[in-house]
Amino acid sequence: MYLLTTQDINDLARELQKTHAVYGPQVNAQTGQVFFDLLAESELPDLDAAIPSMPVKEILFPQMERILKYSYDAQAQRVTLEKQYGEKPKVLFGLRPCDLAGIQCLDRFFLGQEFVDDVYLAHRRQSLLITNTCTRPWDQCFCVCTHTGPAADEGFDLDLTRLDDGYLVQVGSEKGQALADAHGWKTAEHRRLAEKAAVVDRCVERFPDQAKDNKAWISRAMNRITTGFVKHEIWEYIGQQCFECGACSFVCPSCSCFNIEDVTLCGDSCERLRTRDSCSFSGYTRMAGDHNPRAPVEDRRNKRFFCKLSYTQSKKYLRPGCVGCGRCQLVCPGDIGLPNVVQYIRRETTE
Amino acid sequence: MTHSQHHSEACRDTGRCPIVTFPEVVNIDEIKDEAPEVKTFYLSFLNPEVVPYFRIKSGQFIMCTVFGAGEFAVSLPPSPEHDRLHITVRSVGKVTDALHALRPGDKLGLRGPFGNGFPFETIKGKNIVYVAGGIGLIPLRSSIVHALQHRQDFGRIILLYGARSAGDLLYQTDIEEWKKVDGFESFITIDRPESGWQGQVGYVPNLIEKAKVPVEDTVAFVCGPPVMFNAVIAQLLKRGMSEDDIISTLERQMKCGIGKCQHCAIGRTLVCTDGPVYTYHQIKTLGEVI
Repeated sequence: MYLLTTQDINDLARELQKTHAVYGPQVNAQTGQVFFDLLAESELPDLDAAIPSMPVKEILFPQMERILKYSYDAQAQRVTLEKQYGEKPKVLFGLRPCDLAGIQCLDRFFLGQEFVDDVYLAHRRQSLLITNTCTRPWDQCFCVCTHTGPAADEGFDLDLTRLDDGYLVQVGSEKGQALADAHGWKTAEHRRLAEKAAVVDRCVERFPDQAKDNKAWISRAMNRITTGFVKHEIWEYIGQQCFECGACSFVCPSCSCFNIEDVTLCGDSCERLRTRDSCSFSGYTRMAGDHNPRAPVEDRRNKRFFCKLSYTQSKKYLRPGCVGCGRCQLVCPGDIGLPNVVQYIRRETTE
Repeated sequence: MTHSQHHSEACRDTGRCPIVTFPEVVNIDEIKDEAPEVKTFYLSFLNPEVVPYFRIKSGQFIMCTVFGAGEFAVSLPPSPEHDRLHITVRSVGKVTDALHALRPGDKLGLRGPFGNGFPFETIKGKNIVYVAGGIGLIPLRSSIVHALQHRQDFGRIILLYGARSAGDLLYQTDIEEWKKVDGFESFITIDRPESGWQGQVGYVPNLIEKAKVPVEDTVAFVCGPPVMFNAVIAQLLKRGMSEDDIISTLERQMKCGIGKCQHCAIGRTLVCTDGPVYTYHQIKTLGEVI
């Protein structure tokens, strides 16, 4: 546990930039939107910025990514293949606890099942995660309900908390410890932990009563979905609200579905792209010959909520698939972001 | 490039080590016309180092890259032992059309083998009934050859197979070979009578009665179009076969083959890693299947 000044934090970011690609939150001067972007040489992470518009998974699991390049000479019947997913080391500087929980979900899913996903592993193996404790909630936040914030418990390399006179730095891994040792940071006294707890408490206080006082808010809904007690009419209603735009999947920190496509660049040269996909699209399960086994109605549109909230499905993440960032609620044109869906299901339960 | 670079770096080997992410190049040695729009491609690996690692179980599938067009999932018809590596494919879309335009000497990419395979460990000593319609024989071929190679391990081995016309029947030379194996019974039918056809006429489900398909100590492997599938299942259940003894193999859109892309999810199972082989009991409880 160390205590660093803002200057120390900035120096650390600058120093890491020499060896790593450093990503951090930045406020767009024109739109006021926050993006978690690659920092240019002169730029520093803005640790006071709001929760980023897009989830930080973008860096480890991009919207579109080239995984293979090949060229095929039909005349000579010869092919050359080139692997594309070797990546340079990255630092995620100042990510919010909900985004960290999303990365943990992706870690468990991509790296912890029968097969290991090489592409994700290549990104993840060389990444350093530095979290930033939230000192206030934003409009869409409900991490207190999903137990993912306002402070991170585990899974980070370094964790920063803004106190009155500097940043409290906690170490969460060997990688993080090595950084601390190399810099000879000033050790923080034990009382600083109480100060951090006060920061977290003040943040929780600012959440709406409904969120902070109702710990069973999401687990009640999970229970109903897992045991199949949600009425079909509720699913139908939710399905009818869906525009099938896929935005919820793209802004969700734990959504991991992808598509693979070979694209011809010019002549013989091709690239294999891995792009994010959404289970709400009708083409998602369509096979060659146009047979589509998945029922076109609410079945497809509700699949995502089963994936996030049904115990049998979300156990692949070892936690609920929802991390409480509230982005789906912000972007959904049909008003069926995950908190609303939980609300519909709970309302039915209480009726 | 060495073998280890092609395989998953974190491959948790349990005796099998599939090609996971980076496709391995194979040569098309020979192309055979099986039926209209259906061709068999005989393949061999360019890199001999891969061969000992590429161990298949009958019922598994591979991801096949047609360079410049894309990748598709296709079942493996060769038996695990003493059989040339080949795939049989009907042209039904962009990638398979491109495959059909290739000639011998052209190259393909290959990943796999993936999937669970047929449960041969648990069916020793039983009768096996194969029920196939049209190109449904392709995923069953591997297990038929395997069963005939281990003839002594099983009771009766019966093949009920049907196609639209005599020209649509696949693996005709193979079937002639299989008939020479002692105790192999085959009933082949086509939908409508045609000149020169001496065999059965009618639909596959009708063969079940004709073949006097046993029920006790018997497993049925069923694969074919949904209409045939449902009719066959109804017949078998009516004869008293248990839902756990009816086994089929499913197909879905697949992109990765290793349980990550989620395109083949049915309920909480993934066809690529939990399947593609399921019992009828499992299929019935999954929902949205056929």
